[in-house]
Amino acid sequence: MRRLAAVARREFLERVRSKAFLFGTILGPILLGALMLVPGLVMSKQRGKALRIAVLDSAGSLKADLEQALVRQKDDADARFVLRPGAATRETLEAEVREGRLDGYVHLPSATLQQSVAEYYGQNVSNVLDLRLIDRAVEETLIARRLSGAGVEPGRIQELLKPLELKTIRITKRGAREDRRGTFLLSVTLMMMLYTTVLMWGQAVLSGVIEEKGSRVVEVIVSSIPTSQLFAGKLLGVGGAGLTQLLVWTLSLALLGFYAAGAGTTAGLDLPEISPLLLGSFVVFFLLGYFLYAAMYAAIGAAVNTIQEAQNLVFPVLTPLVVGVMFFPAVIQSPDSRLSTALSLIPPLTPLLMFLRISVVAPPAWQIALSILLTLATIAGVVWVASRIYRVGILMYGKRPTFPEILRWVRHS
Amino acid sequence: MRISDVSKAYAGLVAVRELSLGVARGSVFGLLGPNGAGKTTTLRMVMGIIGPDSGVIEVLGRPAGGSARDRIGYMPEERGLYPRMLLEEQLLFLAELKGTPRPEAARRLPAWLERLGLSGWGRRKVNELSKGMQQKAQFIASVLHEPEVLILDEPMSGLDPVGANLMRDVLLELSRRGKTLILSSHQMETVERLCDSIALINRGVKLLDGSVADVKRRHGRNSVVLAFEGDGAFLGSLPGVRRISDSGRYVEIQLTEGTDPQGLLREAAARLRVSRFELVEPSLHDIFIERVTGDADGASA
Repeated sequence: MRRLAAVARREFLERVRSKAFLFGTILGPILLGALMLVPGLVMSKQRGKALRIAVLDSAGSLKADLEQALVRQKDDADARFVLRPGAATRETLEAEVREGRLDGYVHLPSATLQQSVAEYYGQNVSNVLDLRLIDRAVEETLIARRLSGAGVEPGRIQELLKPLELKTIRITKRGAREDRRGTFLLSVTLMMMLYTTVLMWGQAVLSGVIEEKGSRVVEVIVSSIPTSQLFAGKLLGVGGAGLTQLLVWTLSLALLGFYAAGAGTTAGLDLPEISPLLLGSFVVFFLLGYFLYAAMYAAIGAAVNTIQEAQNLVFPVLTPLVVGVMFFPAVIQSPDSRLSTALSLIPPLTPLLMFLRISVVAPPAWQIALSILLTLATIAGVVWVASRIYRVGILMYGKRPTFPEILRWVRHS
Repeated sequence: MRISDVSKAYAGLVAVRELSLGVARGSVFGLLGPNGAGKTTTLRMVMGIIGPDSGVIEVLGRPAGGSARDRIGYMPEERGLYPRMLLEEQLLFLAELKGTPRPEAARRLPAWLERLGLSGWGRRKVNELSKGMQQKAQFIASVLHEPEVLILDEPMSGLDPVGANLMRDVLLELSRRGKTLILSSHQMETVERLCDSIALINRGVKLLDGSVADVKRRHGRNSVVLAFEGDGAFLGSLPGVRRISDSGRYVEIQLTEGTDPQGLLREAAARLRVSRFELVEPSLHDIFIERVTGDADGASA
């Protein structure tokens, strides 16, 4: 036990003392913060310049009203549309749009008032948010005209047309709080961090094993202690370094959450709730993911002689992790669907997808417990197989073993 | 240490075949053989790094690879240290793996660094050390936990003459303190100076073993060193001459059993100017060459 600790201690210190570790640990939270805040800031500011548009009225009497309605449309207190006044034909407007002097124009057909139809011509027709504003302006104009036709006095019309503002409020166990895109961003960011850290520390185990094998230190070591102790010590030591890094991050997240609960919202920043459950599962699912994948990485490292050789074997091992990431939009959209539940209970996917579910809406406790148990059982199996491959492979030099050969190691060692 | 009827094969290739050896406590034992004879495989099995396919290995009265291995020091043929780790850290770590508490190892370390001329290098990374220094560092790694048995695979390779002398002195010192030394080598001079007993193996099979004196006696006292001026080509065709090895300034002549060296002296004196004539034991070097080439001839015949 003391020797296992010595191995783990060496691995831990070796990693923690490196510059890369310091760099990654400090940079991580900064990146995290940037990832969470910047998209939100960019989202709200990116629409930037107001659109230059014109109105082409075939109905005859709506142009002035619509132009006023368009000018009224605001985004965060800024007008979204600059109207190009004056009459024009369809041909000249189209030419102007093509030449870029105009962003687009709204065409009101002659039957607009009767059939509630209008057309928007523009170079860019995928700016959904702007189109929604145009839609609203046309609608206001039409309704106002109909109301006044029905005898409603002009003064009341504006009042009746007051647009709706839909706020989204997220309800959690700890209370309700306004939430725009924060939760989504936080969930995705944290999941991506889990993904990269599991990969990164797994890779660290891989290159550590290859270095040991390549420099032949391993022969001295296995003449002193059983390979199982070397294997376990290595996984624990490197994992300890990873955990340290993650705890630093978790702590900064917790501080961020503390800040968000207080000043953040009033300062206009879009910060989601960071719950203890979220922080706890971040650590737990990192550990599960790490041990699952690092054990496989260690076995691969033992079976090969160089990093290059390892790449071919790494690919099949990583496939589940990559697949897990690909499913994240579906899981985030409906975290309680049957698909999400099933996927999050598949052990190689659990570390990412169960965590993602927890970050969106806490799933039933039994599902969390079941997923952890299943993953632990899988880890036990993987470690058993991997340690056998490791034991044989670590002293094998020369040609890279074939897959059947590796299977033979597992059976016979 | 006792090895009984041990065999080991790799993917159908026999590395060691029904090998039996015994090494007495406190002695210095040399395991000799040409490259690929199975020396390293044998030592690895003794260390419990790999298991034999059949047979039994006991070290210090216990099965190989078990609890005895803390009392054994091992320097593998392929030297290996963590390249980017500080020398000091590394040696303490390796001693810790042998069950020596860190403070204890740290207390012993300076004396060993000093003894092997590595003082002041403890805080350097291993990859900053020269090859000879790494070799000495590897040696310290094998003795820092104060083992009773020391197994050294090619201890002299990679050392310059000064380093080799130093190493030999240190080994003799350890032997005098009662440690059992087991070394593999094909540097016969080293073996001859250090070892009490030897075994010669070739292609996984033991060719001979016993004390150095015994082995020499068995290979006859009938060896003559002859230095002369003139054309000595006829010497090989004289009756009773089994083998001649030419060392340039002199030749070593092995006579068949029962041949009287005096006859050879008379013949030589009659036809050459003899400046030296000496009855000698055959060197291990000659025995090695003779047995190994003889073995190869026997096998190919």
